[in-house]
Amino acid sequence: MIRDFGIVWSERDLLLSGLANTTILSVLSAAAALVIGFILTPALVAKQRWLGLLARGFVDGMRCVPFLLFAYIVYYGFPSLGVRLDNWTSGLVALTIYNAAYMAEILRGAWAAQPREPIEAGIAFGFSSAGLFRRIVLPPLLLAAGPVLGNQMIQIVKDSAFLTIIALPELTHAASSIQSRHYVPFAAFITAVFLYWGLCLVIEAGVGSIDRLAAARR
Amino acid sequence: MADDRKVLDVAGVTKRFGASEVLSDVSFQVAKGETVCVLGPSGSGKSTLLRCINWLERPDAGQIYLNGVQIGISGGGLVMTDRELSRIRTRIGMVFQHFALWPHLTVLQNLMEAPVQVQKRPRAEVRDEALALLAKVGLSDKRDAFPAKLSGGQKQRVGIARALAMRPDLLLFDEPTSALDPELVGEVLVVMRELAREGMTMVVVTHEMGFARDAATRVLFLDRGRVVETASPDEFFSSPETERARQFIQRYAGEAANGRRAMASR
Amino acid sequence: MSGADVLAILQGAVVTVTLSLVGILIGLPIGLALAVLRWADVPVIARVVALYVSIVRATPLVTLLLLLFFALPNIGIAIGPVSAAILALVMNTAAFNCEVWRAALMNFPRDQYEAAQSVGMTATLRFRRIVLPQVVHVSLPGLVNEMSLLIKVTPVLAVVGVVDITRAAVRIGAETYDPLPPFLIAVALYAPIVFALVSVQRWIERRQRIAEAAA
Repeated sequence: MIRDFGIVWSERDLLLSGLANTTILSVLSAAAALVIGFILTPALVAKQRWLGLLARGFVDGMRCVPFLLFAYIVYYGFPSLGVRLDNWTSGLVALTIYNAAYMAEILRGAWAAQPREPIEAGIAFGFSSAGLFRRIVLPPLLLAAGPVLGNQMIQIVKDSAFLTIIALPELTHAASSIQSRHYVPFAAFITAVFLYWGLCLVIEAGVGSIDRLAAARR
Repeated sequence: MADDRKVLDVAGVTKRFGASEVLSDVSFQVAKGETVCVLGPSGSGKSTLLRCINWLERPDAGQIYLNGVQIGISGGGLVMTDRELSRIRTRIGMVFQHFALWPHLTVLQNLMEAPVQVQKRPRAEVRDEALALLAKVGLSDKRDAFPAKLSGGQKQRVGIARALAMRPDLLLFDEPTSALDPELVGEVLVVMRELAREGMTMVVVTHEMGFARDAATRVLFLDRGRVVETASPDEFFSSPETERARQFIQRYAGEAANGRRAMASR
Repeated sequence: MSGADVLAILQGAVVTVTLSLVGILIGLPIGLALAVLRWADVPVIARVVALYVSIVRATPLVTLLLLLFFALPNIGIAIGPVSAAILALVMNTAAFNCEVWRAALMNFPRDQYEAAQSVGMTATLRFRRIVLPQVVHVSLPGLVNEMSLLIKVTPVLAVVGVVDITRAAVRIGAETYDPLPPFLIAVALYAPIVFALVSVQRWIERRQRIAEAAA
């Protein structure tokens, strides 16, 4: 058993690059999904009915589709549209589009729970729309939605593991590779599990400090 | 040695929460048919004392006996198991400040639950008795209602009926009217007075001075965890012995007078 | 894609849903047991459960599945793809359910429990007659939510060779050199199932909200 872990240790570069891929993929798609979410959310609550229905259809649709299948569809579907994507890019695209729907739903919920008066005060004080958004609307919204966004972030990290299916060299793929080459399945995958757990704890710690920031301002 | 002519014998009970001593060497006895009112300012440990009697809180020192049997410590000197405690608790009824009715059961089911499940009494007999109790507290028409639909006063009357359904030797009341709107207090006090008149052995923690003055056989005054005074209600309210008791009565004197006026007008 | 292909995907769907159901049926009571262990604060065991839940919730299902499928034979326990799949699903479900149950248990009103104690109910009676009925009621939306999430991760079972939807779709795609349609069909099968579960959850939540408002 110790020998097995020794082998995993000798392959740590591969494992760490897998971890790096997982982290970068997750962070990038989370950020992109959040931005797209910000664009989608107003569409969700839009006055024009067709826009609202379209957005709602997309969000509910993504909620009903297993991510693995969606990743496959993106991977095999884009070439049909003439766009050649490597597995990294199609993985990123799939992760982003899929989670944009969830981000939009989270932001919609957080927005609905926000009190209106501070914003009205901002308008009364003469804040323009850009400044209003950036300094009055956004900070409390993000602070309130912190825990839920954190959970979604964890979900993104876990979904990224599915991308091993399309041969994306993320963490699970790296562990799989080490396992199949050296026959050390327990050591390899347990290490991967603990690395995922570590990633999760980091995210939860981040959410915790955002929560403390929020609590101090309540 | 416990005095087994007494229903309740509390001897030297002490309770600490962290660094502070909430109850210090509290001793008193309750004879059958007595109604003892425990009075005192907030933080004096009244509720804690009550909760120690049926070991919802575990005393740090002292002994408590129900009809001569010690509560909480078994014959062998060990702390009682949950099972042994449960057996004793069937003999003590408790009425809670916030009613504590079980929301997933109807009023009638609330009354029948423990006699059937714990005392294993036959269903039909329990049902008859429960219906009689509901009639006694004036809530026969609510028997199939769920607690959420009742007013506070109605909930508390159900709470009293539920405690009575177990045919307890002793009834404990933990500030039974403190959570009620003023106009609902009266209907609960009426039931409690009736119980006292019928000879139920009761220990009542309350702020209702009127009730203490009219229905209690004895008053226990608690201050900062100690029994400062114990006397009949007349003696206590007209000529208290200690300064603390005097201050307390003065603060609540207006309430006591109001209580009497309110009672008289019912 | 021929009719036989569609049939193959349908059969794969049946396998997927069956395995999910097994995972849910076994995982639900185990999750409750774990939650009770933490709620009762059983020394040592409560901590172990907390650790287990924390790790499994952070682990992607595919990683857990691969771990079980490859590592268990390595330490002497022979396990096939279906058993590994069920074990992974059960471990996953139990960990996530545990948190739903635990939230309901932690929020259980203390005075109702004390009232049950004060009438002399033993711990078993208190739990069975007073705590459990209400905890089930409160946990329902969360549990249905977890079920819908579980169904959505089941396509990964193909990774260890369980012939479920994904495997069928991949095979057909490889044979016909046209991978997209079978996956679209697979999605068309999944989406209604998940949608049905989500609708049930929303219905339960709405009914409970109305009941509370009327009280």
